[in-house]
Formats: sequence, structure tokens, C-alpha cells
Amino acid sequence: MIKKLFNPYIFIAGGASLFIGLAVILATSIIGHFSNIHFPDVLSAKVSPGFPLHFCIAQNLINWIITSLIMYLIAAPFSKTTVRIIDIAGTFALARAPYLIAATIGFFPALQNFGQYILWKTMKQGNPMIMSPGSITLAIFLIIIMLLLTIWMVTLMYNGFKISANLKEPKSALLFVTGLVLSIIATLIINNQLYHILIHTS
Amino acid sequence: MIKKLPISCPSCSHELNVQSLHCEACSTTISGQYSLPLLLKLEQHEQDFIIEFIQSSGSLKLMAQKLKLSYPSVRNMLDDLIEKINLLQNELS
Repeated sequence: MIKKLFNPYIFIAGGASLFIGLAVILATSIIGHFSNIHFPDVLSAKVSPGFPLHFCIAQNLINWIITSLIMYLIAAPFSKTTVRIIDIAGTFALARAPYLIAATIGFFPALQNFGQYILWKTMKQGNPMIMSPGSITLAIFLIIIMLLLTIWMVTLMYNGFKISANLKEPKSALLFVTGLVLSIIATLIINNQLYHILIHTS
Repeated sequence: MIKKLPISCPSCSHELNVQSLHCEACSTTISGQYSLPLLLKLEQHEQDFIIEFIQSSGSLKLMAQKLKLSYPSVRNMLDDLIEKINLLQNELS
């Protein structure tokens, strides 16, 4: 069971994984749109000011496509085997499954209010916000859950990368970390550009 | 019970050789020093993989279906096996 949760790619990869993964990405975008959770780069999940649905879908697709492409370009020259783009794309699409749960967490008002509360409490910015100790505890609990979901997603991505490229440690870890850092930077820049396009067109 | 052919020494893990061969029909025993053929130097599960691969007409896709594993998992198993065979061949030559 643990193996299936953290490394499902032993059993599923390629086309099947891609199909399920794309459904997951689409569902995450739709839920994120309604729960006000957006993903400004491949790893981050943040409370959004209410982005349109097409922006949420584009953001999630960018995170997946750019990361898959970077990981493929990094793995291909170092792998002894032929790396198939469908395996990288499929495993990375499915790896975003934990963020489907992260998107639903946005429905809790405690998480929505906590950002504003911290901003007001520490920097005296925004509107004054009062939160009960119960709501604060719930918000912290939800943030911890978010963190665990991120760890789960990164583990899935790493296992997908390792199995798709047949790379062994420590080479696999080194290449993956390099790819992840590049992916974070690239997705952050592209999504930022997308945000500016959205601002100018609306 | 099917007896497992030992391929390495249980004491020092060194590769084992064949010292005698016996004919059950006429009880002739041949003694000498024979090294194991390359395929027998592989682990049992690796030998099973090769047999499965041949029976699947060399189709990794078919093998993945039979073994209920993903395509890259089976391909990686084959790649690792190729690497091991190359290593054993280099040791022999």
C-alpha cells in the first residue's frame, strides 16, 4: 500500500498515467478556482485572490509541461536507456495528485483568513483581522497538511523521474534536484508572465 | 521440492565451479573443473525474466501486462540484466 502511494509507477506509467494525471490536473484547476488556491510555481500552493478558471488551468498545465520538459532534457543525456517523454510526462502528471487534496483545503475559511491575519498582526498591512485560537490552530494544522502534501508530491516526482530514466542514486538525486530548482525558476517566471497578461487583458 | 542450484559459495560468496557430473542412467561420474555457463551465473529471478522475455517474443509491452508492472519498470529490469550480462562477459574474457 505504501509502495503504491509513494511509487505507483512500478505498476502504472506511460499513457495510462498520463490520462489519469491530466484528469487530476484538470480537477485540481477547477477545484482550485472555486476554493481560491493557485499554484504559482511547480511546488507552491497559495491562497489566490480569485483567478478565472482558464488562468487556473493554464497555470497547472504550465507547471506540468515545463517541469516534464526540463526533467526530460536533464535525464536524456545522462541515462543509459532511451528515455521516453511519455513516461516523464505521464509520471509527472500523476505526481500532481496530492495537490488535488491541497486544492480542496482552500475551502476552509481559516486558511483564507490566516494570511490576512498574519499580515495584519506582523506588518499592520491590509484590513484588521481577528481570529479565534481554534481557527488559528486549524489554519496551522492545514498548513502542515499542505507541507506534507508537497513532500508527497516531490517524492512521487522523484520516483517518477528515477523509473522513467532508469537512473541510480546518487546520480538520480543530483539530477532531480537540479531539474527541480530549474523547474521552480522557469515556472515562476512563466506563470508571472501569464499573470501580467491576465491583468492587461482584463 | 525443487532444489535451488547454488551459484556462489555460502561461505565466502565466491563464484562456484562444477566439479563433477553424473549420469543417472549408467552411473558414470565425470570429475574435473568446469565453470558454470553464463546464464547459470544469473540469479533465479533473472533466469525467469529471460525465459518470460523469450516466451513474450521479446515484447516488453506484453511482459509488462503479464507481470502486472509498468513498461518502464520492465524495461529497467531488462537494462539492469543487460548490464549484468555485459559485466559477466567482461569477467570471462
